[in-house]
Amino acid sequence: MSDGTDSRRPEFTLVQVPDAASPDEAPAPMFSAPVQDGKRRKGDIFRPGPGPMVEFRDVVKTYDGNSRGLDGVSLQVDTGEFVFLVGPSGSGKSTLIRLVIRELRPTSGSVIVGGRDLSDLRRGKVPYLRRAIGCVFQDFRLLPDRTAAENVAYALQVTGHGQKEVRRRVPEILSLVGLEGKYDRLPRELSGGEQQRVSIARALVNHPRLLIADEPTGNLDPETSLGIMDLLLRINRTGTTVMVATHDQHTVDRMQMRVIALERGKVVRDQESAGYHEETGEVLA
Amino acid sequence: MRIGMFFREALRSIRANAAISVAATVTALIAVFILGAFIPSFMYVRSAVDAQTAKVDVDVYISDTATVAQVNSLRGKLDGLRTDGTVAAVTYVSKEDALRIMRERLRDPSVLDELPSNPLPAKFNVKPAEAENADVIVAAVKDDPALDPTEGIVYPETTADRLLTAAKFVQWAGFALIGILLLAAVLLIGNTIRLSIFARRREVEVMRLVGATNWFIRWPFMIEGVICGLVGAVVATGMLWGIKVGVVDAWAAGADSALTKTGAAAGTIAFPMLTLILIGAGALLGAIGSGITLRRFLKV
Repeated sequence: MSDGTDSRRPEFTLVQVPDAASPDEAPAPMFSAPVQDGKRRKGDIFRPGPGPMVEFRDVVKTYDGNSRGLDGVSLQVDTGEFVFLVGPSGSGKSTLIRLVIRELRPTSGSVIVGGRDLSDLRRGKVPYLRRAIGCVFQDFRLLPDRTAAENVAYALQVTGHGQKEVRRRVPEILSLVGLEGKYDRLPRELSGGEQQRVSIARALVNHPRLLIADEPTGNLDPETSLGIMDLLLRINRTGTTVMVATHDQHTVDRMQMRVIALERGKVVRDQESAGYHEETGEVLA
Repeated sequence: MRIGMFFREALRSIRANAAISVAATVTALIAVFILGAFIPSFMYVRSAVDAQTAKVDVDVYISDTATVAQVNSLRGKLDGLRTDGTVAAVTYVSKEDALRIMRERLRDPSVLDELPSNPLPAKFNVKPAEAENADVIVAAVKDDPALDPTEGIVYPETTADRLLTAAKFVQWAGFALIGILLLAAVLLIGNTIRLSIFARRREVEVMRLVGATNWFIRWPFMIEGVICGLVGAVVATGMLWGIKVGVVDAWAAGADSALTKTGAAAGTIAFPMLTLILIGAGALLGAIGSGITLRRFLKV
């Protein structure tokens, strides 16, 4: 339907990204940074501390029958990092992500997020874990009968925010992701890229410390994909840890971030400033 | 604030799933209608049975040769039973009264003129407070010296027992039927709401994904169930009111109707009370139906 927005956005150019840890050099803050003052927010289940944001210790996930999702994965993602998870379909990327948001539980090993071992997490606490993690999916997962603004508002209402807060924050966050003037569109009235922006806005509205994206550009054309990745990068610059599972070779090669490659449920490569394949690791100017 | 939001969510969901909401409402309507028709019918049958058992009485015949002191002692025993609540009333029927009653009952009273003397004994007609008290009364006076040796005590033993059995059966069958009806209604409404949730399975998934707690998801569905239950109950009550005014009241007004004869209509429930019960039942059905169904979808 509406195709224009993404082309109206400035052309994506790969700028030299300042280190997330040096906020002085960052441009005027576009997203309010997650609260990192060591104080615990109400309902916050992350344990404050210097440890990694996400840690997998020898995680095995076996599905019914014998098919293996993950086969002994150990990895560590530090606070403020931007990480690509790459690998062919069925390599275990989605399994890994679903373990982080505790949609799945490991068969053995432990998954630790924000200092919390998720195996110790009571079922009633899972919603609070999900509020601390922003999630973005290939299929957007928007509520189809709600407008863009209502979709974002729902995530705020879930965390107990009143109408006043909703009216203030929803337009703010939607304009930050580049959706000015489309607040009252239903998902089906928006382009794929725009729907993904709504879902990113929804993921961000509760100031998560960790943003997880499972194939966020899987349904989008290359140009739109770059816009979405740019947005994720800008979010990362405010200090939010970002993990992106993708097969988008083009984007991964251009962005030169940390890459964790999975194959048949095992980590086969974990490399800083890398491309999609080991051979194409040269930095693009 | 929150409650307002849950209501808005519930109304949104009713609008979005109009067909399913109508189905749930009609289910509630049928369940409440059957319940509403059943309660007064059951009470009517029960009060009719009660009215019959109230007619059970015990005749204690007095020997012609009993002395005044013996008769007074027997009367004293029966009065004692009345003060402790076993007996509702004691009436003395003299020999002359007995003959007069007999004369009224016979088609050809002239046969009585042939009798040399009045053969009928005097009696105490005893009305038990409860039909099952008849045994107690019989036990208390059966060895009294004033008793007539041939007639003794007469009471319709088998009729009383049968009526009592019938009354108990009606009562238990009634409870069982109401229980089955309510269970069926809960399952039906639950099934309808399951359809509604199934249609919005993905929606519930998304809600969980953004960190909605189970109660946050549940409330709008429960309110939706209650609204459907209430609307169904109100319509059902309206239909029952129409039937009561148009059919039952008109029938009861007929001179020879069974209702007026037994006075049983007085024993059934008052309509405003019935309305309250039915509307409460409708709301409860909706809430329980959706509550039970949601459990399955909110696991993990």
